[in-house]
Amino acid sequence: MNHLSQEELVELYYSEDGPEAARHMDACSECAREYEALQADVADMKAVDPPSRPQNYGEQVWNSISGQLPVYARPRRPLFQRILSKQAWFRQRPLWIGLSVAATCALLVAAAFYAGRLWEHRNPLPPIASHPAPPAQQHVVVVVLSDHLDRSERLLVQLKHANADDTQLATPLRDEARSLLAANRKCRQEAEANGDPELTMALDHLNELLNGLANQPGGLNADAISKLQAEMNKDGLLFEVRVLRSRIPNRQAAVHLKGGIA
Amino acid sequence: MGKNDHATIRAVLSGDKEAYGALVTQHSRGIFRVAYRITGNEADAEEVVQDAFMRGYRKLESFESRSNFGTWIYRIAVRCALDRISRRGGDKNDRGHGNAEADSEAVQVPDRAPNPEQMLLSGEIGAFRESAMHSLTPLERTAFTLRHMEDCSMEEIAVVLEIAPNAAKQAVYRAVHKLRQRLALLKVRT
Repeated sequence: MNHLSQEELVELYYSEDGPEAARHMDACSECAREYEALQADVADMKAVDPPSRPQNYGEQVWNSISGQLPVYARPRRPLFQRILSKQAWFRQRPLWIGLSVAATCALLVAAAFYAGRLWEHRNPLPPIASHPAPPAQQHVVVVVLSDHLDRSERLLVQLKHANADDTQLATPLRDEARSLLAANRKCRQEAEANGDPELTMALDHLNELLNGLANQPGGLNADAISKLQAEMNKDGLLFEVRVLRSRIPNRQAAVHLKGGIA
Repeated sequence: MGKNDHATIRAVLSGDKEAYGALVTQHSRGIFRVAYRITGNEADAEEVVQDAFMRGYRKLESFESRSNFGTWIYRIAVRCALDRISRRGGDKNDRGHGNAEADSEAVQVPDRAPNPEQMLLSGEIGAFRESAMHSLTPLERTAFTLRHMEDCSMEEIAVVLEIAPNAAKQAVYRAVHKLRQRLALLKVRT
């Protein structure tokens, strides 16, 4: 039989060991004797009674340390919490008090609004110094030019791929060319006024072609279409229009700066 | 009591320093008792009480509302007492945590202790027991005091001393073993 170790006996004494050790004690007289000896020894180690303290011992301790303790900083609470804590009655009163407080607040807000309106009337704000408005015309011209070049490009593409013998195509080409002529004239004037010779020249070429399509003597027949196609290809007009069209964003930015539009 | 303690702590943290006085007054005696049992010295115990309440005040913001202030300050006091007896240079029997091999040295009666005859003659058996307590390491002495005199469980001791439960158990066992050897010496001589 394995006897309990001294450590196990100590654990048993302090009731830290399980019932297994206690059962062993019943069966093993040697361990039981050891345990009795341990009990006798440990019982001798009585708890030490501390010296008595005066009745006001706690106050004495407090008086000796209180001078060395800092005061905790009072936490800063939000304004509404401070108001509510000071007005503890507020939370315990009936609903009508809460409503009356809410109404008072609403009245204060309304009064502040009205006072603000009055103040504005009596002290009008000085007029804001503004730069002269940029000519909106510039912007409109850019938009019109962009649209005009788009439509012209589409017309030129149609003309390029048109079958000269297709008589059904002649009328739409002529009508579109007529409608573009006026816009082209206006854009050319603006380009000339803005000192843009490249654009002015391109629009001149376009004007000649549009005029040929719109006002062909004897109507827009197969020969006329072939002749205009050849003329368009010779001048590289479609390419020129595409280049101008691709430059529109930059041109638009330039016009904005020039016109002072932010 | 717990609710009152928590309300008092909230007041202290809100800037009412004087409120802490109520906690000090309420718990001072209990703290003095355990401090005296661990240090075995009235002056040291007084110092421990003050030190514990001052440390407690400074750490009050870390006090968790679900805790019991009495238990919390008790643990702080035990730590203060352990620190004090660990620092106490005058007690030449105070050693480090020690080990099993070195424990055998602890059974030697310190020079300053009275011999058994003198103690019997003067009836100072208690003084011999006290000197036996001084033969323990600070950790053993504190663990034994908490288990034997303060009736703390091994788990509580482990928490207070910030050691593993098994280490707490070992410390108590070593303390009992050393004390029995000392007392056996006394019995042989008488």
